[in-house]
Amino acid sequence: MRFARSIFILAAGGAILDPLCVFGHGAEFLSAKLTLLPEAEVLLEITADYGGNPLIADEAVAKEALMDPVRLMRGESLVPLAELSAANITQHDNWAEFAPALYLPSDAETQAHTLITAAWRWRSSEPEIVFEMPKGKLHDVLLWTRDQTNPDAPPKWMLLLAGDRSKAISIHWPPWWQRWQMVMASSVVVLALGYFVSRNFTLRQRTL
Amino acid sequence: MSNRILSLLSVIALSGSAAAEVAYEFVPNFITPPPGKETIGNGHGEIAVDSSGNIYVSVQEANAGIQVYGKDGKFIKALALPQSLHGFVIRKHGDGEHLYAAVLGEQKVIKCSLDGTVVMTIPTSEFPGDKIGKGLKLTNCDVAPNGDIYVVDGYGQSHIFVFSAEGKFKSVFGGPGEPLKLANAHKVFIDRRFEPARVMICDRGHKRMLHTQLDGTFIGEIATEMRNPSSASFHGDLMCVAEIAGNVSVWDKDNKRVADLGTSPKPTNTPGIEPKDWQQGVVTSPHGITFDNDGNILETEWNKWGRVLRWNLKK
Repeated sequence: MRFARSIFILAAGGAILDPLCVFGHGAEFLSAKLTLLPEAEVLLEITADYGGNPLIADEAVAKEALMDPVRLMRGESLVPLAELSAANITQHDNWAEFAPALYLPSDAETQAHTLITAAWRWRSSEPEIVFEMPKGKLHDVLLWTRDQTNPDAPPKWMLLLAGDRSKAISIHWPPWWQRWQMVMASSVVVLALGYFVSRNFTLRQRTL
Repeated sequence: MSNRILSLLSVIALSGSAAAEVAYEFVPNFITPPPGKETIGNGHGEIAVDSSGNIYVSVQEANAGIQVYGKDGKFIKALALPQSLHGFVIRKHGDGEHLYAAVLGEQKVIKCSLDGTVVMTIPTSEFPGDKIGKGLKLTNCDVAPNGDIYVVDGYGQSHIFVFSAEGKFKSVFGGPGEPLKLANAHKVFIDRRFEPARVMICDRGHKRMLHTQLDGTFIGEIATEMRNPSSASFHGDLMCVAEIAGNVSVWDKDNKRVADLGTSPKPTNTPGIEPKDWQQGVVTSPHGITFDNDGNILETEWNKWGRVLRWNLKK
């Protein structure tokens, strides 16, 4: 399914595989793909390569690197991704879908890469999100954003080194009327519930 | 990020007097690519200068792994060397001036005359078997005053191997364990600014540079929180460093940063930035660097189109 989707993206011109050189680097960073979904949902997929990254010797190190790669800023505090949702872990070898064309490892066609992707999905409570890499982290993080509502737009990327903070990323925050609709709907439910409880309570009083 | 910029600014401010003694100016369009080419070609990125001032730049082209340019930046010739020369130096030792190179794709080290003739090879079989791991990924080498050759497995286990001038294995240090705990020790150099000479290690994974004695004994960190130091060169008391995440820095012998050149506004580390997006005097992914014989700086990048930048020393 993912393979088919990446083919579609390629065909649509969303990404073009550059000519690849033979003796290149592995990707010496974690690739963090941020997909902006409708209604304030975000999907963050962070990929580690233990086939080509000299900083990641094996699967265990890759999994450790994905434990707490970046944190979400909420006010002045930093929230670990694990507190936003449980991570969904997958293994694959498909770099093309998990790194922007500009940053694809230069030997992606000639060397087998062994990838692990951890995915977190949550609904944001803020219209903009900011990530920060705690100081002392070994692995640089390439944070790149893909807008699901505009898949042909070139991805935006930034490389975060330890201690760096990302720019604010605007998510698909529902428009005011949609949020009001939700508030109104919630209010109606609460009122209806209150009415139901009071009716029952009153009936019970009368019965007594 | 802001902390890094602030500390950088304060370091520059504090070293104002030193900075006043060393300044550089960018030289646009210094390199003239080979005939018929818009750029020099796919570069992993290393550069060196010989004693007569000729400039040697690596490119990933079959049987033409190094291009030679004159002092004026004009193309002279290509040398029939492997395309995967990851790092190399040009050094004079007892038997003359030679190019010493780590051949990443072939897991070996070669010593060549300056016309490209290979005169010695250190093959994979000469490395200790218990340190090879999944295979050597050699990234650089340099030559000590006594002729010993230091080789680093920078994309592998970050071990630093010492061979005699004849290419016989002598010892090994470094690696991921104690005491140095290296991670992606991208290149090592013999720092002859000191007596006795030291080993200077670009511990890129940890964003730091450090010194050891020639036997591998830890001396100290030179700098931390860098933009991933990848290569270095020495001239007089100065050391210039290519930081692949987008900076060229110059350091004095007291480990003070005395200049920053070509700093990219945002960190980068990719060979994919096209010529149309290059900006004069701003680096993309610096991977190799050298002083020339007059103290000018030449830097080359990890870039699929190949790029060389030059800063002249202001006198």
